[in-house]
Amino acid sequence: MGWQRTSLYAMLMLCAVVMLTPMAWLVAAAVKGPDDLFHYLFFAPLSRFSLYNFRQLFEQIPYVRFMINSLFVSGATVLVQLFFSSLGGFALAKYEFVGKRVIMVLMLTTMMIPAQVMLAPMYELIYAMGLVDSYVGLIVPGAVSVFGMFLFRQSMLDLPDDLLQAGRMDGCTELRLYWDVVLPVQRPMIGAFCLIAFMGSWNNFLWPQIVLHSQERFTLPIGLNQMVGLYAQEYGAMMAGTLLAVLPVVLLFFFLQKEFISGLTSGAIKG
Amino acid sequence: MNTLFFRLQHRYAPYLFVAPFVVLFLTFTLYPIVKSILLSFYITNGPKSQVFVGWDNFRFLWGDPAFHKAVKNTCVYALCSVFLQLPLSLGLALLLNSRLVKGRDFFRFSFFSPHLVGQVFVAVLFSVVFIPKFGLLNRVLHALVGTAIDTKWLGSPELVMPALVLTSLWMYVGFNMIYFLAALQAVDKELYEAAQVDGAGAFKQFVHVTLPGIRSVAVFVTVLSTIGSFQLFELPYVMLGNTAGPDNAGLTVVMYLFQNGFIAGDLGYASAIGWTLTMGVLVISLAQMRLTGTWKKES
Amino acid sequence: MPRLFAHGLPFGKAPTLILVVTVLAGLYLLVHPVEKSTATLRLWTFASNHATPYQKAIPSFEAKHPGVELEVQLVHGDAVNSRLRAAFWADLDVPDLVEVEISRAGSFFRGPIDDVGFIDLMPILQRTGYYERIVQTRFAPYRSRGRIYGLPHDVHPVVLAYRRDLFEALGIDVDQIETWEDFVRIGRQVSVPGERYMIELSDNNAGHFEMFLFQRDGGYFNADGQLIMDDEVALETLLFFIPLVAGPERIGSDLGSSRLFTQAVESGYFLSFICPDWRSKGTETDIPRMGGKMALMALPAVEVGGRRTSTWGGTMLGITKACPDPELAWQVAEHMYFDKAELAERFRETNILPPLKDAWEHPAFDEPRPYWSGQKLGRIYADLADDVPPQYASPFIETAKSKMAGVISSCAAYYRQHGEVGFEDFARQRLRSAAEEVRRYIGRNPY
Repeated sequence: MGWQRTSLYAMLMLCAVVMLTPMAWLVAAAVKGPDDLFHYLFFAPLSRFSLYNFRQLFEQIPYVRFMINSLFVSGATVLVQLFFSSLGGFALAKYEFVGKRVIMVLMLTTMMIPAQVMLAPMYELIYAMGLVDSYVGLIVPGAVSVFGMFLFRQSMLDLPDDLLQAGRMDGCTELRLYWDVVLPVQRPMIGAFCLIAFMGSWNNFLWPQIVLHSQERFTLPIGLNQMVGLYAQEYGAMMAGTLLAVLPVVLLFFFLQKEFISGLTSGAIKG
Repeated sequence: MNTLFFRLQHRYAPYLFVAPFVVLFLTFTLYPIVKSILLSFYITNGPKSQVFVGWDNFRFLWGDPAFHKAVKNTCVYALCSVFLQLPLSLGLALLLNSRLVKGRDFFRFSFFSPHLVGQVFVAVLFSVVFIPKFGLLNRVLHALVGTAIDTKWLGSPELVMPALVLTSLWMYVGFNMIYFLAALQAVDKELYEAAQVDGAGAFKQFVHVTLPGIRSVAVFVTVLSTIGSFQLFELPYVMLGNTAGPDNAGLTVVMYLFQNGFIAGDLGYASAIGWTLTMGVLVISLAQMRLTGTWKKES
Repeated sequence: MPRLFAHGLPFGKAPTLILVVTVLAGLYLLVHPVEKSTATLRLWTFASNHATPYQKAIPSFEAKHPGVELEVQLVHGDAVNSRLRAAFWADLDVPDLVEVEISRAGSFFRGPIDDVGFIDLMPILQRTGYYERIVQTRFAPYRSRGRIYGLPHDVHPVVLAYRRDLFEALGIDVDQIETWEDFVRIGRQVSVPGERYMIELSDNNAGHFEMFLFQRDGGYFNADGQLIMDDEVALETLLFFIPLVAGPERIGSDLGSSRLFTQAVESGYFLSFICPDWRSKGTETDIPRMGGKMALMALPAVEVGGRRTSTWGGTMLGITKACPDPELAWQVAEHMYFDKAELAERFRETNILPPLKDAWEHPAFDEPRPYWSGQKLGRIYADLADDVPPQYASPFIETAKSKMAGVISSCAAYYRQHGEVGFEDFARQRLRSAAEEVRRYIGRNPY
């Protein structure tokens, strides 16, 4: 079985190399000086390590501001979505009530319709509410994640009803039940959802592009895209900016790898 | 504890819990849907002025060469997603699922990490990777197989789509692999043993045990992939800029929607495009689910 | 309430981490709110080489108008168009003065006349007498339906910049190059595809092609706003242009962007390139190592004695309808655009020729430039300025340009595959269908 194992590893390694090469290039490009950028294929010799690109980056565009904007908006979005989606998922999993079927069908349709169709009227709505070019305008439309509701419903279905009944006997209100009984057990799913939601919000481009006008409120994707058009020759800085922009998500993933995988797949497998 | 308050809150709690969804749905989903359907019967100049034109938008759309190009591009992309990407994901998952492999976490991470990056950042990265003569891809290809070093990936009409497909392959193969991997691991081992006892070889096992076993996940992933690829926008928009590539080679339907709605200002036409797309996607997804004999009750 | 956290943080460590980060970020944003502009007047521009001189000129303007605060804001690249459009639509945050690039300007003239966000400058121009003092053809791109919406920032005459040293080494005598025929003949002798190109030319965007078109008095639209992109002149230009960039005898290619361009010029990959005035400064900055080795020559003519220049790019300054004090805004425009002493200094810094003809008498325009082998850059451009061909505007200019780009790419692709065989018919067909698409598009517009 030796050769079988070797060939397996060989193929996997090949694929892994192909997958990781652009990322490696990204890291290398970020730390190469301007003349070396295209001169060396990957990493320049250590002596030529340069932070020039990062300096350029921070000088040309208000990168720190973009980063903080992104952190705030994504963080707030995740927290809001987490709360509302888990609540909604809980209701769908553990209660029978009028309109439950209808709601589930509505949820499905939301997922089918491409968001871009609704962009223009959504923009007009936000404008009418006076929320154009504001953080609130970014967060509110996405405050409930339908995908999240499905996820939480899926994982809460398994919760034994007796536990809930016992809680009610003890005099817990439904909200208290949610907070004290249901949520603590959902930690893995919560972790998974946090990552998914964070990623979605962090990388979100279209809606912020349309809603935000003042540069001081731009999030990273918009800010970086702007740079592409204008400072097209500053490849190094662009790469540095991209590298810093993907770091938070990658770090979060590292922390939450196991939960993320199980959360992502539970919806598909059990369903 | 049978106070009125307690009974009431027990009864109405679920309504409260789903209230956020309902409110947001009515405001930010239902209203925009209705409004955009209405809008598709107008020509507008930004949100300020509009002229009613009835079915004209759709008639124009039917004969619009740019729209045809967009549809063609998007369909090609979707086909590649389903028939190129998914088999690759499945293949990788099969490899990774083998008992012989250790360090699964490492491989999983390396295959999945491209997806973490997000379309916009991938587009920024790859627009540099595709640069003729000096970019990563051309130099590697030149060194390995001797292709011309100044191949203009994003500058030649024939190569733009392949470039986009390549980029999205990189981004999504790992993502779909995760699903397949989990599905593979959920297949009952005993079925394999039974098949082996029956004398089935590896290939037969694959066809008769594995495939049926992962069927629901495969359908799920296929439908998801299809819907997602029809909505492709950010990748070509950031890589190619407003121009959508030479001769509209990278124009997708959503990009065309964006160009018409938010650049030219004709939100009515954009809505017409959007709804045509939605109808198309709905029909295709339903067909896919019917064909594979599954009717999704839940996602 | 203490029971609330009986199980530890209910949501787990990930949300807690996110909560902490969000709160910190939120605090930062609270402490650094987006500042509301207190300026009396705001000017937006998209180019840093415009913004810098304007910002330098602010103190002298404010000295002339005490109590007035002028703010010049650099809005990056294409964002100025999308933000301006969004601002017009939302009536939010519209600047008082804004610079718009020539290829985009037309799209702001769409829709009903009342919807156009800029005021008509014709009355002011005639009243102040500036109308005659500016190169007339430069108003064309910013005119629509009888109104002038923009003040031209520039003339942008075009010449060829070339590696004088390499030309000499190869035995090319620029004085012998009078027409494109001469140029192409020499180009074919010295170009080696993949190694050296006579000239930098793009085969997939319309930017370079347009210059050839304008040089021959062609264009996208004529003075009456009608689409002429598929007329005989356009076809001739197309048939002339494509073999230069495609096929085995091509003499031109392109690479993409600045940093690579630097390497390309330094290594002699491109022997010459099309150089409007703004690009000459960019060259001096981006390719400093070639100082003293570069020179400029007038564009080869189409026929002997013909026009020896064209035009590339342009910017207009518009005053928006949202501006509460157009007269004051005009003062800003005058200060930024027509102050002759300023203009001379600005020319030294940017090489951009102002459209105000009497400004060219200033000695700054006759200074020899060491980078360009001692040539008098200003005089070279000024002498060609009156010959610069007009570009006529239309709300559909962007559509026309993008369709043309498609024509260029597909014709180049065809030529690469089939060469001259059937090329003329293909080009004619392709041009016609592209123009038809634009016409169809124009036809459905009710405004």
